[in-house]
Amino acid sequence: MRQVFYLARRYLAYHRWKTITLVGAITLIVYLPVGLRVLVNQSSRQLTARALATPLIIGAKGSPLELVLNTLYFGADPPALTRYAEARRVAESDLGMAIPMYVRFRAQGHPIVGTTLDYFDFRGLEVAAGRNLAVLGECVLGSRVAQALGVGPGDHVVSSPESVFDLAGVYPLRLRVVGVLGFADSADDDAIFVDVKTAWVIQGLVHGHEDLTLPEAAAGVLSREGNRVIANASVVQYNEITEANLDSFHFHGNLSDYPLTAVLVVPPDQRASALLQGRYQSEEDLAQIVTPVTVMEELLGTILTVERFVVAGAVIVGLATLATAALVFLLSLRLRRRERLTLFKIGGSRLAVASVMASEVVVVLLGGSLLAAGLTFLTSQFGSVAIRALLRT
Amino acid sequence: MKIHNARSGLALACAAVLAAAVLALAAACAEADSGDSRQASDEVGASAGADRPSLLVYTVNYPLAFFAERIGGDLVQVEFPAPPDVDPAFWSPDPEMVAAYQSADLILLNGAGYASWTDRVSLASSRLVVTTEGVADRYLVVEDAVTHSHGPEGEHAHGTVAFTTWLDPTIAVEQARAIRDAFVHARPSQEASFREGFDALEADLIDLDVRLSQIVAARPEQPLLASHPVYQYLAARYGLDLRSVHFEPDELPGPAAWRDLQAMLEERSADWMLWEAEPLPETAARLRELGVESVVFSPAGNRPADGDYLSVMDANARRLAALYRGMPER
Repeated sequence: MRQVFYLARRYLAYHRWKTITLVGAITLIVYLPVGLRVLVNQSSRQLTARALATPLIIGAKGSPLELVLNTLYFGADPPALTRYAEARRVAESDLGMAIPMYVRFRAQGHPIVGTTLDYFDFRGLEVAAGRNLAVLGECVLGSRVAQALGVGPGDHVVSSPESVFDLAGVYPLRLRVVGVLGFADSADDDAIFVDVKTAWVIQGLVHGHEDLTLPEAAAGVLSREGNRVIANASVVQYNEITEANLDSFHFHGNLSDYPLTAVLVVPPDQRASALLQGRYQSEEDLAQIVTPVTVMEELLGTILTVERFVVAGAVIVGLATLATAALVFLLSLRLRRRERLTLFKIGGSRLAVASVMASEVVVVLLGGSLLAAGLTFLTSQFGSVAIRALLRT
Repeated sequence: MKIHNARSGLALACAAVLAAAVLALAAACAEADSGDSRQASDEVGASAGADRPSLLVYTVNYPLAFFAERIGGDLVQVEFPAPPDVDPAFWSPDPEMVAAYQSADLILLNGAGYASWTDRVSLASSRLVVTTEGVADRYLVVEDAVTHSHGPEGEHAHGTVAFTTWLDPTIAVEQARAIRDAFVHARPSQEASFREGFDALEADLIDLDVRLSQIVAARPEQPLLASHPVYQYLAARYGLDLRSVHFEPDELPGPAAWRDLQAMLEERSADWMLWEAEPLPETAARLRELGVESVVFSPAGNRPADGDYLSVMDANARRLAALYRGMPER
């Protein structure tokens, strides 16, 4: 046996370029459909796992996919805005826990997720360093954000203005980092979490400014009529929330009208879920309720259709490559006729000679398969990272 | 070269190819398994929650803490961490204390804008119980609140709602009911005990209401002053003819404050001023010169040094009764 393999190995080593080409071709034949299947399975599972763990999402009527992608992955453009009243509507119905989500702003390229502490409990997120959100103006970073920005508790990140041309729009707010979340292997690792009220501060709906009843603020006051003070735009507003100015922050208008991108709903059981969905069936309702897994399955249906075409293409290419490889082996056998005769003459049996030839084929097939297995393993390990990177872009 | 060697070589090679294929499949399966376990852990995370033997409850004022203690008994652990020398309505906890609030199973809020610090901190909304939510239509508006406007949002006001809601015992009963319902929701198996605690508390609060009604019924037209605008719900419930100034019990009022009081007295005389706490002797003496006696009616916003909420209210009622009989008891 050793001799058979020795001869096969020596032959393959001598014709190394032919061997490498054949092994590469076999690798691709095996890896393309298997690797693609693993990648598609992985993306399907990633998309559906988070969707499965998210029972219901309420948002403004519009694209359900945009709503779900924004709420689950924070990456898409913000969907049409709904109101905080929707979160209250769910809470008052007693049909589920309502978690407000306001994913609109960004800081240094990372999404700022405005929510409540219920979100951390719901996703099972733990603070690995520092502490959780306590007061307005604080943020907690996902593990990859902390790594990418090189910041930790005690540092600051600054929210990005929505548009450099919108002078009256959203101004940057300096957010104090108070904690970093443990690695969750999800979109939460790439987000900056703030209290939803802090997200409203970024928008200017909740804000702090100097006390207009004090003499120091006189320059910013247009008129005083009894208990009514009218200020002009020059009134000093704070772009960082500190212990000193925290108490000056206040809400404008009715809290129910405050914007949200979505309300994540966790009903206690199927019955509550069904009842809640029934309440959003009216045509007149400005809000929609979606089951994330249904939306994601529709998306996956499209992905799987594309995958079928790709796999079919890979199989055809694979068959052609196999045929070519077979031809290469057959031609090689013909060219090596004299070599076989020599082996017979020095006493080699037909079976032994055939074994040498077959071993060469088997080694090539084995090498290609092993390489394909290695690549498949790498895909299974790092495919999720690649998918998330794709989703982020 | 032997034949059996060649045969076993072939067999070994075939086995190796099969092993490679199995390895590729195993890699795919391992990846599938890890995905499943991730999903499972997601589900566990979603269902994770505090499941203590007794319910940990934090409150923003003493009346709510008292109601919670009476309703929950030994089944709840009630925490009201404001220092004894502060008015909890205007107290702000530090981040460490906020973290303590965050650890609670339930956080009892008064509503009506009380303890505005709760608007500026991060608390899990699913654990918040706004005890006056069901009686929001009975909120009273503070008429002299400062409003301001600037920017595109226009005018808005701060602190426009009176917040010492529990001074109307019928509202206090509704607040207690909201607490009971929250307890039952959190611990359905202990409903009977919570209902029993609530029924006893409700009886006490109704007794207080009847008693105060009877006291005031003797002289409903009696004009009164309040050192602070905190008695709106008391006045509304019992039809008191009450007007407020802004005197602090532990500070001497300034000349402007005295001028405002005199102007108020010229417009409408009053013989008694209700105080949240005993005023400084100098203030009481100056008031007496103006013909105004001082009487303490404690809102019991913070935990009393002695006794409990009902004993404080009992003392308030006794002083009010004496006042209405024309003999202030101080």
